[in-house]
Amino acid sequence: MKRLVLRSLAAIGVLAAATAMAQPIKIGAPQPMTGPDAPFGDKFKKAYGMAIEEINAAGGVNGRKLEIVIEDHQAKNQLAATVAEKLITQEKVLVMTGGRASGQAMEIASVSQRLKTPYLVDHPSADMITTKGFEWVFRNNPTGSIYPAAFQDFITNYPAAMPKSAAVVYDNTLFGKTIGGAAIKILKAKGVNVVADEAYPVNTLDFKPTMTKVKGTNPDYVLLVAVATTDAILLTRHAKEMGLTPRAFVGFGGGFGVADYATQLGPLAENVFSSAAWSGNPNDPKTKAFYDKFHAKYGIWPHEHEVEGYSAIYILADALKRAKLTGNLDADRDAIRKALLATDMVTVFGKVKFGNWTGPTGDPFTNQNVYSPEHSVMAQWKAGQLLNVWPKAFAETALTFPEPVKK
Amino acid sequence: METFAQSLVSGVLTGALYAMIGIGLTVVFGVMKIINLAHGEMVMLGMFGAFWGQALWHLDPFVSLVVWTPLMFVVGMLTYRFLLRKIIPGGELNTLLYTAGLSLLIANVALFVWKGDYRTISLSYGMTPVRPFGIAIAVPLAIAFGLAIAITVALWLFLSRTNLGRAIRATSQNPEAATLMGVDVERVAVVTFGLGTALAGAAGVLLAPSLYLYPTVGELLLVKCFVIVVLGGLGSVPGAIAGGILLGVVESLGAVYVSATYKDGIGFVLFLAVLLYRPSGLFGVGK
Repeated sequence: MKRLVLRSLAAIGVLAAATAMAQPIKIGAPQPMTGPDAPFGDKFKKAYGMAIEEINAAGGVNGRKLEIVIEDHQAKNQLAATVAEKLITQEKVLVMTGGRASGQAMEIASVSQRLKTPYLVDHPSADMITTKGFEWVFRNNPTGSIYPAAFQDFITNYPAAMPKSAAVVYDNTLFGKTIGGAAIKILKAKGVNVVADEAYPVNTLDFKPTMTKVKGTNPDYVLLVAVATTDAILLTRHAKEMGLTPRAFVGFGGGFGVADYATQLGPLAENVFSSAAWSGNPNDPKTKAFYDKFHAKYGIWPHEHEVEGYSAIYILADALKRAKLTGNLDADRDAIRKALLATDMVTVFGKVKFGNWTGPTGDPFTNQNVYSPEHSVMAQWKAGQLLNVWPKAFAETALTFPEPVKK
Repeated sequence: METFAQSLVSGVLTGALYAMIGIGLTVVFGVMKIINLAHGEMVMLGMFGAFWGQALWHLDPFVSLVVWTPLMFVVGMLTYRFLLRKIIPGGELNTLLYTAGLSLLIANVALFVWKGDYRTISLSYGMTPVRPFGIAIAVPLAIAFGLAIAITVALWLFLSRTNLGRAIRATSQNPEAATLMGVDVERVAVVTFGLGTALAGAAGVLLAPSLYLYPTVGELLLVKCFVIVVLGGLGSVPGAIAGGILLGVVESLGAVYVSATYKDGIGFVLFLAVLLYRPSGLFGVGK
C-alpha cells in the first residue's frame, strides 16, 4: 500500500514535470495599467501581445508557447518593487521586461538582481539602471545621456542652429534629471549660456510661474523634459500662453512623442521637436511592414514605445530559443541570462548586442546595447504627425527651423 | 517688472479658484463641524462633468455650469441625508474617518469607471491668451476667474440677505441658540452640505479647462484646500477667499523667484508661519 502511494506520487511528480515543459514560458512585465501613465502601459500591452501572437502562431519557442504576465504598478516606484517580486516568486516567470519609467525600472532591476532573474529593459532610460554593475539586467534602448545625441548633432551640423542661449526645464525624477543634466552638459561643452535651469515635481498643475521665469531670461532655445504626458502637454501650453518665442522648442521624453500630445494641444504642438530614442527608418520595408500590421490590428500607428515593446519580446524569444531549459527555475534563469549575453540580432528597433562599455558621461555600462549611440533621432510635430527630421539619413520630411514667428 | 506683474496676475487668477474650493469646505465645517475629506472628490466630479459635457454633447464647460452646479447641490443633499446624517452624532473624529472612506470610494469608483487616463479639455478660444499690457492671461482662466467672483458674490448675497442664509450663519455661530430661535437646524445642515458640494462641483467645472483631470486629482486639490481654509481660519468665508488668493500669489512668486521645485514647500512655510502668529488663522475667531 505504502509503495503504491509512493509510486503514484512519483508518477504525479513526473507528470507534473512533463506538463511543466509543455506549459507556456512566462515573461513578467510590470507596467502602469492604471493611473496617470496608463496610456503607456496600454501601448506596451498591445506591442507585447502582437509579438507573442506572431511567435506562438509560428510554433512558439522550441515547441512551447510564450505568455506575458502584466502586473499593474500604477507608476508608483514602491508598487513596482512589490509586483516584480510577486511575478518572480509567485508567478515564477522565467524572465522580466517592461517597467515603463526609470524610477520603477530601477526598483525592478534591484529586485531582479537580488532574485537572480534576467530583466530586459525595453524603454526606461535612466543611465543608472545599467551602470550599477547588475549582471542580470540588460537594456536594448539608449540611455538618457544618449538621448540628446541627435540634438547635439543637430546644433553642431545644421546651418546656424547653434543656440545663443538655452533654458532647460526638467522634472525632478531619475529620468528628468538624467536627461536635463546630459543636455546641460552638452550645451555647456559647446559654450552655450544656459540661462534657466529649472526642475519641477512630476504632475505639476501649473507651469505658468516657471514659464514666466523662463520668459524673463529670453532664451534662444527652450528644452523641455517630461516623463509624464500631462506634464509635456501643460509645459508646452503654458510656455506658449506666457508668450515664449524661442527659435526652437525641443522636448525630451515619452510625453512629447505620443499622439495625445498633438490631439490635446492642437496647433500648439506644431513644429515642436521631440528628441526620441528610436532611429528606425519608417521607409525601411521591414519597419513599414510592422507599422502597417500594427495599424491594421489595433487601429493606431505605433511609435517608439510599441517598437521597443515588440522588439523586446523578439530579443527574449531569441535568447529563450538558444537557452537549454530544464524545468529547474534557477538553472533556467541563468541559462537565459547567458543566452542574452550572446545576443546578436536585428529587430524592428535596430541592431542589438549587449556589452560593457563607457557611456557619453563617463559611466561604465553593463549589458547595455552597444549600438545605442546610433539610436537617437530628432522628430518634429507636423499637422498632428511626428516625423523624423534629423539626422538627415533618417529624415521623413524637411525640418522647420527656426520656428516661424506668428503675430 | 513685467515678470513680477505676470506672476502676480497668474497667482491671483489661480488663487481665486483655490479660494472657491476652500469656501465649500469652510461653509460645511462652519455649520456642521464636519471636515469633509471627500471635498476633493466633489471637485473631481465637477471636472469630469465638464469633460463629459464637452465630449458627449459638445457643451461648453462654462455653460455646463448651469447643469452641474444644481446637480451637485442635489448630490450633496442626498449624500448628507442618506450617508452622513446618521454618523454625525458619533462625533467629529467619526465623520472625519467616514468622509475619508467616502473619498476613497468615490475616487476608486471613478478610477474603475473612467480608467486612470488623464484628460484635458481643449477650447478653441483657449489656444491663444489675451495680452493686456504685455501680461499673458489665458482666456479660460480669465473666464473662470470672472465666474468664480460672480458665484462668490451670489453666495455672499445669499448668506447675508436671505432668511435661509441668515439661518445658516446663525447655526454656524451657535447651533443651540439658532434652534431656540426657531431655526430648523436639520434643514440648514442639508442645504449647507448641498451648497458646499455644489461649490466644489462648480469649482471643478471652472478648473477643468485650465488643468487636466484624472480620477485621483482630488487628493492633490484637497491638500491645497486645507492649507487655504486653515490659513484663513476654519469656518470663515472671507478667510477662505484671502487664504486662496494668498496661496496662489505666494506659490506663483515663489516659483519665479525661488524655484518651482519648492513651490509647494513655500506654500507650507507660509502656512506654518501664519499659524505660528495667528493660531486660528487670518480671519479665525478662535474658540
